[in-house]
Amino acid sequence: MVSTDFLAITPEIAVAVLALLLVAVALLLPQGARKGLVPLNVFGLLGILAYTVYDFFFGKMGPVFRGMYYHDQFADFFKILFLTAAILVILSSREYIGKWPAYRGNFYALLTAAILGMMIMASSADLLTFYVGLELMTITFYILVGYLPHDGRSSEAGIKYLVLGASSSAILLYGISFIYGLTGSTQLSGIGAQLGSSLTPPIILATVFLLAGLGFKISLVPFHMWAPDIYEGAPTPVTAFLAVASKAAAFAAVIRIYLVTLEHQSFVQTGVALLLILAALTMIVGNLVAIPQKNIKRLLAFSSIAQAGYLMVGVIAESVAGVKGVLFYAMIYVFANMGAFAVATYVGQAQGSDEIRDYAGLARRSPLAAAVMTASVLSLAGIPPLAGFVGKFYLFSAVIHQGYTWIAYVGFVMSMVSVYYYLSVVKVMYLGEGADLPDIPVHGAAKFTMVFTMLITLFIGLYPTPLAQMAISAATSLVK
Amino acid sequence: MNFNLSVGLSTYLLVGAMLFCLGLYGVFVKKNIVAVLMSIELMLNAVNLNFVAFNRFLAVSSVVGQVAALFVIVLAAAEVAVGLALVIAIYRTRHTTNTDEFNWLKW
Amino acid sequence: MSDNFAAVGVLLIFAIALPLIMMAVPKLIAPNKPNKEKLTPYECGNETIGRTWIGFKSNYFLYALVFTAFDVETVFLYPWALTFRKLGTFAFVEMFVFIAILLVGFWYAWKEGALEWM
Repeated sequence: MVSTDFLAITPEIAVAVLALLLVAVALLLPQGARKGLVPLNVFGLLGILAYTVYDFFFGKMGPVFRGMYYHDQFADFFKILFLTAAILVILSSREYIGKWPAYRGNFYALLTAAILGMMIMASSADLLTFYVGLELMTITFYILVGYLPHDGRSSEAGIKYLVLGASSSAILLYGISFIYGLTGSTQLSGIGAQLGSSLTPPIILATVFLLAGLGFKISLVPFHMWAPDIYEGAPTPVTAFLAVASKAAAFAAVIRIYLVTLEHQSFVQTGVALLLILAALTMIVGNLVAIPQKNIKRLLAFSSIAQAGYLMVGVIAESVAGVKGVLFYAMIYVFANMGAFAVATYVGQAQGSDEIRDYAGLARRSPLAAAVMTASVLSLAGIPPLAGFVGKFYLFSAVIHQGYTWIAYVGFVMSMVSVYYYLSVVKVMYLGEGADLPDIPVHGAAKFTMVFTMLITLFIGLYPTPLAQMAISAATSLVK
Repeated sequence: MNFNLSVGLSTYLLVGAMLFCLGLYGVFVKKNIVAVLMSIELMLNAVNLNFVAFNRFLAVSSVVGQVAALFVIVLAAAEVAVGLALVIAIYRTRHTTNTDEFNWLKW
Repeated sequence: MSDNFAAVGVLLIFAIALPLIMMAVPKLIAPNKPNKEKLTPYECGNETIGRTWIGFKSNYFLYALVFTAFDVETVFLYPWALTFRKLGTFAFVEMFVFIAILLVGFWYAWKEGALEWM
C-alpha cells in the first residue's frame, strides 16, 4: 500500500532530490566553476517531465495517502506545465544569471524548490497539504524576488511581496481554520460533503476569507495591487516564472477547491454573481491600466492580471468545457508569456533597461527577438492564426454555454483593447528609430527558447487538437 | 455572542478574532518593517488558537487541528526568517526600515 | 466552568494588586534623600559608556537563523519521539530523511560562512 503511494509521488520526490543535489553540487564545486549547474538542472527537469508525461497517459490514477493527495490527470497536466515553464525560464535566463557574481547555484536550487511547492499545490486533496505547498512556493519566491544583493529595487520588491503575501496567507489560513471548525475536516471531499447546501453566516465568512487569500495569489482585481511593483522590481527570469507558473499553480488550487468543495453549496448560486463581477473587473482594470505603461515588465504585469480575468471566466463556467478552456489557456499562456519574457530578459540584460522606448528599432537591431516578441504579444491578445485565439474561443464558448453571455462580451471588448497596447510595443520595435542603441545578436540557449516558444505558439494555433485532447481528459478527471 | 463567564469555544474564538484584527491593524499602520512582521505573526497565532480550540471543542477524537497548528508554527518561523533576511538586505542598501520610504517602485 | 474562570479573575486581580502594593509601601515608609550618585543608571557598578541604545552586530542574526531551523525542527521531533514505537521502522527512516534534508541546509550555512565570526 505504502509503496504504491510513494510511486504516485515519484515526480515530487525527484524534484526534491534534484533541489538538494543542486545545493550540494554548488557547494562542492569551486566558486568560479559553476557552469555545470544549468545542464544538471535542465536535464534533471527534462527527465522528470518525460516521466510525468508518461504518467499522464499510462499512470494508475487515484487518491493516495488516505485521501490527502490526488494523483490524477488534472494534477499531472499542471505538473507538465510547471516543469515546462521552469525549463524555459532556466534556458532563457542563462546570460542574465551568468552576469551575477556569486551565489547563482542557489538560484537554481530555489527555483527547483518552488516547482516542488507548485506540484504539491496542484495535487493536494487537503487544505493543509495545499497550505504547505503554497508556503513552500511563496517563501521561495520571496527570496527569489529579492535575490539581487545590491539592488535596492529588488530588495524592496522582495519585502513588499513578503509582507503582502504573508498577510494574504494569514487571511487564507484564518478562513481554513473556520472551515475546519465548521466541518471538522480539512480534506476537500470531506468538507464538500459536510458543508452541504446550507448557507450560514460562518460559511460565508470562511468562504470570503478563502476567496480573498486565493484572489491575492491569482491577482484578481481588488487584490491585484502588488503585482506591478513586484514584477518590475524582481529579476526578469523570476518575474517570468512568477507570472506563468505561480499563477497557474494558484489556479490549479482554485479550480480544485471551487469544484470539489463548493460543489454542493448554494454559495455557487449566490456567489457566482460576485465571481462574475470580479472576473469582469479583472479583465477591465488589467487591460485599461496596461495602456499607459512605459516599462515592459509593468506592461506584462498588467497583461497577466488581465489574463487571470480570462482564466477566471473558465472557472466560473464550472463544466468540463470550462476547465478544459482554463487548462488549455494556461498552457499556451506559458509559451506566449515565456516568449515575451525571454525577449525582455535578453534585451534587458543586453542594454540595461526595461523601458519600452528602448525597444525602438529592435526589428533592425535584433530581428529574431522582435519577431518572437510580436508573435507572443499577438498570441496574448488573441489574434487568429496564433494559439491565444483558440484558447479564448474555448473559454468564452464554455461560459456562453452556461448562459453568462455578458461576461463573454466584456472579454471580447477587452481583448480588442489589449490589441492596442500590445501593438504599440510592436510599433516601437518595427517603426522606431533607435539609431543610438546597440545591435543585440541573440545566441545560445536564449535563442533556442525564443524560437521554440514561437514555433509552439504557431503550431498550437494551427493544430490545437492534441493539446485540447489532453486538456479534456485532464478536465474529465476532475469534473464528474 | 455568549458573554457569560465560562471558558467556552466562543471565548477562544473571540480572543482569536481580536488577535487577528490587531495583527491586521498592525500590518496596515505600523511604520517599522520589523513591527509589520510581528503583526503578521500575531495573525498566524490567532489562526493557531482557532485550530486548537476547534480541535478541543468540536473534534476531540482527531488531532487534525493540533497538527495544523504545528505546521503553521513551522511555516511562520520560515516566513519570518526570510523576512528578517530581506530586512537586512534592504537596510544595507537603503539605510532605513521605515515602510514609507520603500517607494522606489510606484503604482 | 464558571468557577475556574473566576479563579483566573482572582489571580489577575491579585497579580495586578501585589506589585502596586509593593511599590506603594516603600514610597510611604522609606526615607527619600536623593543625590547625584544615587540617580545615575546602574550598570554593574561602572559608569555607562556611550548611548544605551546600540545596534547589535547583524552576525547575531545569522546564528539566530541557523538556530531557528533546529529549534523548530523539535516541533516535529517531539510527537515523533512519543509515537515512533507504534509507527514502526518506516517512521524511523522517514525522520532520518527529514534530518538529512536539514543537515544539507546546515552544511550550506557552514560552507557559506554563516558560522564564522567576523
